[in-house]
Amino acid sequence: MSPKRLEDMYDAVIIGAGAAGLSAALGLLRSPEITDLQEQGVEPKILVVSKLQPLRSHTGSAEGGIAASLGNIESDDWHWHYYDTIKGGDWLVDQDAAKLLAEYAPETVINLERQGVAFSRTEDGHIAQRRFGGHTRDFGGEPVKRAAYAADRIGHQILHTLWQQCVAQGVEFAEEWYVTDLVLSEEGTKAAGIVAFDTHSGKIQAIHARNVLIATGGAGRLFHTTSNSWDLTGDGMALALTAGLQLEDIEFVQFHPTGLAHTGILLSEAARAEGGILRNADGEAFMERYAPEHKDLAARDVVSRSIMAEIDAGRGVADPKDPNGPKDCVWLDMTGIDPERMKQVLPQVVETIEQYANLDPTKDLVPIKPTAHYTMGGLPITTDGEVYRWDGEHRSVVDGLFAAGECSCVSVHGANRLGGNSLLDACLFGTRAGRALADHIAHNPVDSPMSDDSLDDDLIAAVDQAAHARTDELNTLLQGSDDAASSAAEDDVNAYALMSQLGSVMERALAVRCSAETIATAREQLEETITPAAESLVAHDKTAAFNQEVTAIWETRHLIELAEAVLTASDARQESRGSMRRLDFPERDDEHFLAHSMVDRSNAVTFKPVVITDYPPKKREY
Amino acid sequence: MVEANNTTVTLQVHRFTPRPERAERARGGSPFARKSSPFGGGSDNAARRRPRGKQWVQEYTIPARPEDTVLDCLLTIKRTVDPTLAFRYSCGHGMCGSDAVAINGTPTLLCTASIRDWAKQPGAIAQVDDEGFRHIGTDEDADTGEEASSADANSLGVIELAPLPGFPPQRDLIADIDPMLNQIRKLTPYLQADGVLATTAEGKVNAFEYLQHPEQLAKYETLSNCIACGVCEGSCPVFAGGDAFIGPAALIWSSRFINDSRDTKAMERMDAIDTADGVAACQSVRACSRHCPRGIDVGEEMWQIVAKVRER
Repeated sequence: MSPKRLEDMYDAVIIGAGAAGLSAALGLLRSPEITDLQEQGVEPKILVVSKLQPLRSHTGSAEGGIAASLGNIESDDWHWHYYDTIKGGDWLVDQDAAKLLAEYAPETVINLERQGVAFSRTEDGHIAQRRFGGHTRDFGGEPVKRAAYAADRIGHQILHTLWQQCVAQGVEFAEEWYVTDLVLSEEGTKAAGIVAFDTHSGKIQAIHARNVLIATGGAGRLFHTTSNSWDLTGDGMALALTAGLQLEDIEFVQFHPTGLAHTGILLSEAARAEGGILRNADGEAFMERYAPEHKDLAARDVVSRSIMAEIDAGRGVADPKDPNGPKDCVWLDMTGIDPERMKQVLPQVVETIEQYANLDPTKDLVPIKPTAHYTMGGLPITTDGEVYRWDGEHRSVVDGLFAAGECSCVSVHGANRLGGNSLLDACLFGTRAGRALADHIAHNPVDSPMSDDSLDDDLIAAVDQAAHARTDELNTLLQGSDDAASSAAEDDVNAYALMSQLGSVMERALAVRCSAETIATAREQLEETITPAAESLVAHDKTAAFNQEVTAIWETRHLIELAEAVLTASDARQESRGSMRRLDFPERDDEHFLAHSMVDRSNAVTFKPVVITDYPPKKREY
Repeated sequence: MVEANNTTVTLQVHRFTPRPERAERARGGSPFARKSSPFGGGSDNAARRRPRGKQWVQEYTIPARPEDTVLDCLLTIKRTVDPTLAFRYSCGHGMCGSDAVAINGTPTLLCTASIRDWAKQPGAIAQVDDEGFRHIGTDEDADTGEEASSADANSLGVIELAPLPGFPPQRDLIADIDPMLNQIRKLTPYLQADGVLATTAEGKVNAFEYLQHPEQLAKYETLSNCIACGVCEGSCPVFAGGDAFIGPAALIWSSRFINDSRDTKAMERMDAIDTADGVAACQSVRACSRHCPRGIDVGEEMWQIVAKVRER
């Protein structure tokens, strides 16, 4: 679906149609401000622009649950959730935001249920809840059942329900439009709109908007091995960098310990909860050495680091699918689990292993490897979703620019996200951002006869200028196909191959652990090989409609832009905290680095204090 | 992924490049255009079903292992042979529903189809017989031509790929599935419960979920797992004909809400599908069940909803 024609000016354009983008659209349309406007006969002009058809969004792949202290199974308290979130994030969490997250989690989950999510249920009909790593009672005590779930398909249920509600609200979508530019006013202080590539018509579109919300998700494709879909190329983050904005804490990337070898497909933590054991090349159950108490069920970052330490010590194994390849996996031994029980409680895990590894987990050892899973950092936002700049002392909000979900950083996840908190972040802060947008729109709605459009002309000119430049670039890329077709096939690098190369470079440099040396090597490779190659990319066919290669070229450039920022921020953080393991700085250093990094495309890094209101930093032990 | 083996597979891809659209004709459209079925797109839709452009079949032979998926192979082609080949894909593990195509004539997902299951030796007769069954196992007596066998000693076979049937092709393996999504949209695909949406007083949660017991959930849980990939629609001979049938996917979605104890509009929903192009159009062919990636027995569910509509 695409709009038959674009409006001359939108009240708001939302980029991305996953949990965060759709929650924002709904939060906006259901707000009292918008209802008032509609009663006065003023219709808000809203457009959701997405790279994929909305039902394909990666939210749909989330399996485990959404955290909320509903207390449906056992007593719970949102203060405990609040504390667990801070501790999980290794105290790099802004406590004002985490407090909102925990306090309004029950409301968020209940609203999802009332909109139609098919949650699993308790015998008495309430939403069922299960245990999840790091969620405890009494401030770090016994594990508590806090994750509301829908079998192992909570993300699918939430995504579909939110889309259904958007259908009910008549939300307009521009589907399979790839956003190429975020345009700000000349001084960079106000959102002006976006430029997008309509993949169906093959045309560049200028979209003028008084407000823009970015909800484009994560950037797992920075790494070769990732649980993320092929589309998570960090577009929103790169758009912000290119527009001269900063990213916060972008060096923190969570690696889930058990990706299925080189596919990166996630094998749920439940595999280990049910008795699966990690073994090295010698068959040793090595987790006993690293975490004598919790062993294979220690925290995600701890297990991932232990696996990498084994691999680095030469005790890794090769993916049986690629027996001569690098020994960069270890074994997950599930043979001790009763086969009947395995089928019953781990159906998705068994299916994935059978389907994608062609192995029988009741008999065979399964190769696993940490897989890039979640970016804790992103566009810095206030708790109302407003994007801001940090000048070293103050925040200054970019007027009309909002963000939500994985691409943003309100800093509830700090240095390491807790399971069950990502869907919650996307839905809760997505809704809040939508409400803040509504408030913004109500001050000056496009459709109102009293609308003040004095500022519009400059904004329109800025967007049109960006669209013209992008159209020229598109034509150059397409015309390049004449040369590309005739050039020697040998040295012809295409966007897909280059993206794959970039993933390998970043994985070697940053996956789970890094050092000044690995960072420097990756920067050198980016500078000398990958960036020049990306600049010379052209399409191999000149038909613009559904030309996926053109999109892939821009995705590659976005990934490179982001990769540089991630490397810069990683280099600047000379400590180990949460998901970040510096081999050359193995200890957490609160004196110098209990602070959020803020990086921009000029590679300038500044640090911003953490908001600490209730829980002073402690050592993080499980 | 390439060095460790020396087997290959050949993909025969039905390709299509659209001719550039002239002016804005396909957009806007006349406000006086005939509106036909309330479910289908009408005449505009019929026009779009006729692809205009260049069509051809292209063969790619690439290194592959039996356990690779067809999606793996297509991505290898993009990286190493031909970056212009167009097909939808996203999550790569059967959840997003974007990569439904026809493999050897059968609608299914690229990312769940393995070479082992779908490659057929060249010269072998059509893999899907006219009752829709595939021959499995090796045909010992299918004496393939000598010249082929010596050259292709390492070949795992041939796989034919075409866009999802029943939908207008847009480019290569990409088909326009908007007709399906529009049909789903027409049937109010959202929960209509009795309560007002929960809100909270300042800082205090005062809202509660609708209660639903596990056995009530069981009545529609499987239906709610539909990922709208279109495999069932592409398999349905009635749907493939055009606007005569709203299609199994829209009916599955409707049934999902009819069977949800929280929904209050079951009667209205059943009225809406009790039409000539609704449940009456289902001919119980049950081809829709065969490759549902979420394991929904679509044919059986259709039967159930037809019975429910008749009994009301």
